[in-house]
Amino acid sequence: MKRRTIHNFDGEFNTLEARLAGTLKRVSPPSDLMRRLHERIRLPARKEIVLRVQDWNRLFLIFGGVMSGMVALITVARALFHLARRPA
Amino acid sequence: MADLEFNEDETLARASQGDRDAFGLLYEKYIDRIFNYVYYRTGNLHDAEDLTARVFQRAMNHIENYRDRGVPFSAWLYRIAHNLVANWHRDRSRKQEIPLDEIPSQPTRGDHPERSLVRVQEQDALLTLIRQLPPERQTLLILKFVENLSNAEIGQVMNRSEGAVKSLYHRTLLALRDQLGDQHINLDGE
Repeated sequence: MKRRTIHNFDGEFNTLEARLAGTLKRVSPPSDLMRRLHERIRLPARKEIVLRVQDWNRLFLIFGGVMSGMVALITVARALFHLARRPA
Repeated sequence: MADLEFNEDETLARASQGDRDAFGLLYEKYIDRIFNYVYYRTGNLHDAEDLTARVFQRAMNHIENYRDRGVPFSAWLYRIAHNLVANWHRDRSRKQEIPLDEIPSQPTRGDHPERSLVRVQEQDALLTLIRQLPPERQTLLILKFVENLSNAEIGQVMNRSEGAVKSLYHRTLLALRDQLGDQHINLDGE
């Protein structure tokens, strides 16, 4: 009787394992999903951004560029304002 | 053939020194496995994509901390994935069950349509039961059946001995069998 119970128990487990193997199958991720993941992974890491900020020469150039751009913009705006206010 | 040329230790050493191309090789090798693990733990493609990306971003940011202490790189990645999935479940704990229905179960080719339908329904019922198991049991089943890992390899990922994994697997099968019985689901296929 006991032997028969163990036999049934093993049989049930084998069936269950076969079903689990049929259910938990490897899923192939869609190709566009893989491409998107690639793009996300290729983004610069936070550490790299910190390193870039710590690069003083580059930081100085960026700061200088922004300031120069702003001065040029203000000059153009002032010139336009001056021209607009000139009496015809 | 490409696998023969891939030296994981060397690639890991280069990646830990900040070589992005070396990390890319590791990414290519493990992306499928991590995606599958996360997909089966979350049950939907959108979150699986997001979490898989976060696993590799975290791995990339901390790879210099990875030290080979007898734990394979894959186990390290799985642990990161496990932690992120646990956080994800914690954040969404108020929400109800998430259906695993984005990639439907595939009918077996050549099967009679009626039998095929029954099989698909059985698989869906089994997936639902698996998703109701405690997280460590879900992880065990995914690693065993989706990734085909041995008990020893699963032990490395789950930080347990081979014997403990074997015991947990046995208890998991018992629990599944009982739940199937409670729901009168017969897996004999007849």
